[in-house]
Amino acid sequence: MQIVSGGVTSVGRVRTNNEDCFKILEKLNLFVLSDGMGGEAHGEIASALAVETVVMHCLKTENDPSMTVFGDMPAVWSEKTKRLSSAVHLANKSIYDSAQKHPEQHGMGATLTAAWIDGSKLSIAHVGDSRAYLLRGGSLQQLTSDHSLVAEQVRRGILTPAEAEKSEMQSVLLRALGAHEEIEVDAEEHTLFAGDILLLCSDGLTRMVTEPEIAGTLQAEPDPTKAAERLVELANDQGGADNVTVVVVRAGSEAKGWFSWLRRGGQKSSGVNGSAGGR
Amino acid sequence: MAKLSLMFEDKLVKQVPVGSRPVGIGRSPDNDLPVDNLAVSNYHARVYFEADRLVVEDLDSLNGTFVNDLRVERATLHDGDSIWIGKHHIKVDASGDAPLQWDSGRKAAAPRINETMVLDTKARRDMLQQAAAMGERSQFAAGRLKMPTLVVLSGNTDQKEYVVTNKLTVIGKSKMATVRLKGWFKPQLAAQINQRDDGYYVGPGDKAPTVNGTPIAGPVRLNDGDLIEVCGVRMNFIFRD
Repeated sequence: MQIVSGGVTSVGRVRTNNEDCFKILEKLNLFVLSDGMGGEAHGEIASALAVETVVMHCLKTENDPSMTVFGDMPAVWSEKTKRLSSAVHLANKSIYDSAQKHPEQHGMGATLTAAWIDGSKLSIAHVGDSRAYLLRGGSLQQLTSDHSLVAEQVRRGILTPAEAEKSEMQSVLLRALGAHEEIEVDAEEHTLFAGDILLLCSDGLTRMVTEPEIAGTLQAEPDPTKAAERLVELANDQGGADNVTVVVVRAGSEAKGWFSWLRRGGQKSSGVNGSAGGR
Repeated sequence: MAKLSLMFEDKLVKQVPVGSRPVGIGRSPDNDLPVDNLAVSNYHARVYFEADRLVVEDLDSLNGTFVNDLRVERATLHDGDSIWIGKHHIKVDASGDAPLQWDSGRKAAAPRINETMVLDTKARRDMLQQAAAMGERSQFAAGRLKMPTLVVLSGNTDQKEYVVTNKLTVIGKSKMATVRLKGWFKPQLAAQINQRDDGYYVGPGDKAPTVNGTPIAGPVRLNDGDLIEVCGVRMNFIFRD
């Protein structure tokens, strides 16, 4: 699978500091995004620490695959998924330890959404309300569940998605890195198909821009960096109430010849309307 | 004040306001809204206010209570909703209720909590407990305890039944697909099912599936019992115990 990617972060139009952080590690096809929280500059510390810890652990395990796995892992998971999930556990520990050591950092935390692509296998690990989406078949498929109070209320049937979008409790998270010594990490594996576009984003995007707008932008702009820039612009034009971070990853086909050409043609025709479900 | 209007076809049978006391609905004449029909249980359902929300609760009736198209055990009612009980329906008029004017009331609402925060253990427990108490008997909470399952009715697939557990379930010829289609000229990725917070959505892949006979252009939310057809394979989407 041929992978091209790009990422952009912006402070937005309202905030004065950017607590989002992301890292694209092309040689591993590893993509990590985090949204920090906490007073003064502590949100920035938390998200940077989260991203750095995840990237470092994944790099280390590439060189030394025998490194310990942290947390409970289903045996069926691939090595990459186990390592990525372990890395998120470690990131939680680093933030928690740092806050224990430095009392002024008390209450800092971060979301984390990470993707690791190995051939056609996509591993996702996630805590918080930053999201991973896959654009496929013309619409956005959400790969992560927000660990927020309103999302939990929607899952329990108390709020409708529309009510959740208007709730003033949207910023209340039930799970974030750094809040507790142990954490539950959501992780899952997917198969990538040629033409898939993976999107990682902080809530600064999803609260400002609708899913159909996101889908339309991703389809209209083939260059991942430009697509990420366009999405950040859209979020800022529509208020930019929070920091916005977007990472776009495009999976292309290495297959050549008339048959793959035919298949690509088929995908194009089904994917121009930019519709997205759920909202 | 919210009003409930019991209708039979388009004839108004009885209208009652919803006050501080629950409104009982059922076949027994001592209900506030008696419904004279054998398909209706004696004490079928009730409607009441809870934390400023108008709520309908099914009282374990035999034939069920439906809000608009959905069978519910418990659901929040909105202005204009219809509760269906047997062949009768009850129109919900909540237009006069301040708490239910969600959209218009919202403008003057308290400022958002702008800073992201994590609930500490105690606050989280309390809020979740509150949420759980409200959601426990709701339609979707009940649905979640049941396994969403695809049952293959006809066509060539590698299994006859699939439990939909992942965020994204792929239907196609790909050897990585969850639901593997067999046979010539089947696409690698025919369709996909995305688990979202509010339910399961089937969306097109390289082909546009039909749901209950209607071709879909984008993701469509699945209801219990829906019939999905793609590439000559017919499947039933059901919530199984």
